[in-house]
Order: sequence, then structure tokens, then C-alpha cells
Amino acid sequence: MGTFEQMLATQPGWLDASGPISNVVLSTRVRLARNLKGVPFPMRADNADLERVRDRTLAAASASNYLSDALVLIMDESSQSKREILVERHLTGREFLRDSPGRAVVIGDRELVSAVINEEDHLRLACLRSGLEPMDAWRLVDRLDTELERNLHYSYSSDWGYLTSCPTNVGTGMRVSVLMHLVGLVRSNRIAQVLGSISKLGLSVRGFYGERSAALGGFFQVSNQMTLGQSEDDIAYMVERVAGQLVTLELEARSELTEKGGRKIEDEVHRAHGILTSARIISPDEMMVLCSSLRFGITEGLIDSVDLATANGLLVSTQPGHLKHFNGRDPGPERRDRMRADLIRRELASGSSA
Amino acid sequence: MICDECGRPATIRFVETVNGEMRLMRLCGECAAARGIGLSFAPLAGPLVNMLMGFLEEVGAQDSVEVPEPACSECGLPYDEFRRTGKLGCAVCYTSFEKELRPLIRRINGSTRHTGRIPTSAPDDVESIREVRRLKVDLERAVRGEEYERAAELRDRIRDLESKRSEGGDDGDV
Ligand SMILES: [Zn+2]
Ligand SMILES: [Zn+2]
Repeated sequence: MGTFEQMLATQPGWLDASGPISNVVLSTRVRLARNLKGVPFPMRADNADLERVRDRTLAAASASNYLSDALVLIMDESSQSKREILVERHLTGREFLRDSPGRAVVIGDRELVSAVINEEDHLRLACLRSGLEPMDAWRLVDRLDTELERNLHYSYSSDWGYLTSCPTNVGTGMRVSVLMHLVGLVRSNRIAQVLGSISKLGLSVRGFYGERSAALGGFFQVSNQMTLGQSEDDIAYMVERVAGQLVTLELEARSELTEKGGRKIEDEVHRAHGILTSARIISPDEMMVLCSSLRFGITEGLIDSVDLATANGLLVSTQPGHLKHFNGRDPGPERRDRMRADLIRRELASGSSA
Repeated sequence: MICDECGRPATIRFVETVNGEMRLMRLCGECAAARGIGLSFAPLAGPLVNMLMGFLEEVGAQDSVEVPEPACSECGLPYDEFRRTGKLGCAVCYTSFEKELRPLIRRINGSTRHTGRIPTSAPDDVESIREVRRLKVDLERAVRGEEYERAAELRDRIRDLESKRSEGGDDGDV
């Protein structure tokens, strides 16, 4: 079983740019919401219930193939800075920053599978994959779910399906989210139309790190809205299909930009690289803009001294919680901007494994 | 760049949804105006919770004459609290507030029937309940299409399955 520090020293597997269509799609996540039979949902459960749910789920996880070697973090014993890191690595929601009994996270190898205990639901299973892989991610999380089911009895009705605390998750309890870099569509001002169409197709969109990451860097998370009435295969396939169409539109926009932009685009991309490798102070907003340009430059073949996995990694490792943790305590925003610039220079100096 | 509609020079590029597919269209000013394009675009899809809360308000407004269950019989969650937070307290809440939840869930999903995965621990008859439902839909279609021979066949299969289930005890058809 690894430690928290070992986890931090390793890049999450879903950022390594090894999956299909990694130039546009960073990763795919499939999450299943589950609750245990006969126990109120976390919000209405008492402390004894919550701790029982945690212990039963942890026992089931350690008896499974996928999570037997996993890192187990008990939230009651985890510092605030650790919790911030979990949020920034998209392992838990922001809700986990608050104290509440019975919470835990189980994190598998390279953060590709995880189980979050007593968040909004008793159990949330997630499987992540690099690139566009909804089917693959769904099949894997399904296998994990089947394994856990041998020891856990879920709350289920033949009518409504899996019962969840929020009725927007009832049925399959399944959320497929694809993390996309839509820089081309943002730059060509086509993004508003595209996102308008997406909501008509039954998908919803959020920024990867809030709305700013979307507006500044073009990092979007596209997910299914409906969770009931369709099978899991159908949901995964639907998201894959729509994301595939988005990829086509994004690639069209990118090639138009490079064609039209010519030298100007080349210049801009290299300027971004230049700032990232030389600057001494970089704010979170500037980081998003520059990282987006750098990624664009790499995928368009304009920059070959940095690989895609390194550029992806910067998105997570330069987040405030990560910087705080490396510093031992919160250095404040100004000092953090300096630490961010230092870290980026280090990463880019070593991150040309290609 | 030429217009996808009429072949004249195109000035507008936009993304259109046709039969569930997004694609890039190129149009001239005239064809774009004919389709009413270029004016307003749907805003960003808001967080699900907002959408949900919007529905709750609507449902609440419609049903203001009928008084909903004040609280869940199992966990005691007051209905008002569900309206405020959008979160249910336990599995039984789905039964306690069924009247309010059903239209809400239909609005979100276009359906109120789970057709996905079944837990291995679920009672065996879940699959047969679902089969009966499917057959009943087929039966309706067959009758509408005046395929009476097929309808009779379907009816027999439904009777068969239902009698097998009632031997097992409860009626189970939720
Ligand atoms: Zn035209
Ligand atoms: Zn309840």
C-alpha cells in the first residue's frame, strides 16, 4: 500500500496522455453512486451509522481485486491541506473540506480507480482513463462494483434503480465526464454555440477548475445529464458519440486557426513557452492561459521540447493546495505565484521525456 | 468558403444540431437569416442543482392545492427541507414523496423507469418484472398495428410470467 506522499510524487494516470485522442481529450471518468440498504443517506445518518457504512465499505474494498492494495485515507485523521489536494486531483468534491464523521477515500494505483465514502451518497466509485474511453471506463467500474457487491447490499428499487440522495442521480447512478481541451473553439468564438447544442443533446458542461479554467484555458468537463431510462452502455456510448463530434469540431477550429494565424500563432505559442520557462511570478489565471497555449502548440506540432503529459500535469500540480502542501504551510497568494513559476520551470526542464 | 445551402459565398459559420448530431455549417447571410441564425444562443448549461430547484419550484406551485406528505415516514426528512436542498434522506423518501418526485424525475430523464444494471443481490423476479413490462409495451403496439395473432401470443406469455410470479407470493409490480 502506497503512502499519500508517494501518490503525490506520481502523476495521476489519467493525465499521462497515453489514451485515444489525447490531443483534445485529457481524460474520461465514469462514476457510480451507491447507497447501502437499510441505512439513511449520509445527510440523515447518525455518526454510528456513518462509521458502520465506512467500515463495511472499507472491508469490501480490501476484499476486492481492484482496491485491495489501495491507499486508504480516513478524513477525520487527514489535514486540511491533504483534503485540498484530494479536491484538486478531482478525487473528492469540495464538500470533503468540511469536517463530518465516517468519511474516507480509497485510492487505487495511479488514481485510476477510487471509492469515496460518505460524501453525498454512501459510496461513489470512480474509474478514470486517459483520453476518450467512456466504454472502457464504464466496464472497469462495473467490474469493481460487481466485486464490492459480493459484500455490500445496495439500496435499489426495480422501478427507480439505484436510489441516491439527489434525485438527479437516481437510476444508474452513473455520471460519465470527459475532460476536453477546446481551445480552438474558444479562440474562434464558436464555443457558446457548441455548448448550447450540447445541452440540447442531454449533456451538461462545467469548467475543469471552475468557470475561469474554461473561459481562460478552454478546459471543459462534459457529462451526461440523464441517469435513468437508459442503460449504462447507452449512456457511455451517447457521451462518447457527442464528445467525438466535439473533437471533430475542435480539430476543424484548430486547423483553421493555424492556417489563418500562421506565424502569429507560432509566435504566440513560443511566447507562452518562453514565459513558462523563464518567468518568476505566475498567477493561476496566467497559468491557465499559458498552459492552454503550450498544449495547443504541442498538439499542433509547433513545440516538441515538451511532451503532452508534462503540460497536462501542470494543470494539477500548480493548484494552490498542492503548492501549500509542498511548502509545509500556506505561503499566501503572492509567494504562491513565485512558487508556481519555480515549479513550472523545474517541470518543463525535466519534462521533455519525449 | 461556400454556403452549404445554396452554394453562394458563405459568411457565417455555426454549429448545428441535426438528428442528434452536431456539425459545422457554413451559410451565406441570406440562408442564415432564413433560418433565424446569428441572433441568440442557448446559455451555458447551468449546474444540475439549479435546474432541479427550478423544477421543484414549478412542481410545488402546481401542487399547491394538494398538500404533500409533510415528512418521510422512515427518516423524518421534512418535505420542505428536500425542496430547499434537493437532497433526499433515505431510500423510503422515494416512496414517501413519490407523488412529487415522479414528475420531477420524468422532466430530468424523460422516463421514470430504470432499465440499467440490476444488482446481483436483487430478488430474482426483478428481471421478470422488467420482461413483463417490455411485453406489455409490445402487446400495445401489436394491438395498435392490428397484429392480433402476435398480440394473442404476447398476452399468453404475459399471463404465464405473471402467474409464475404470483406463485412466488407478492405482486411485486411497482
Ligand atoms: Zn446560402
Ligand atoms: Zn426518508
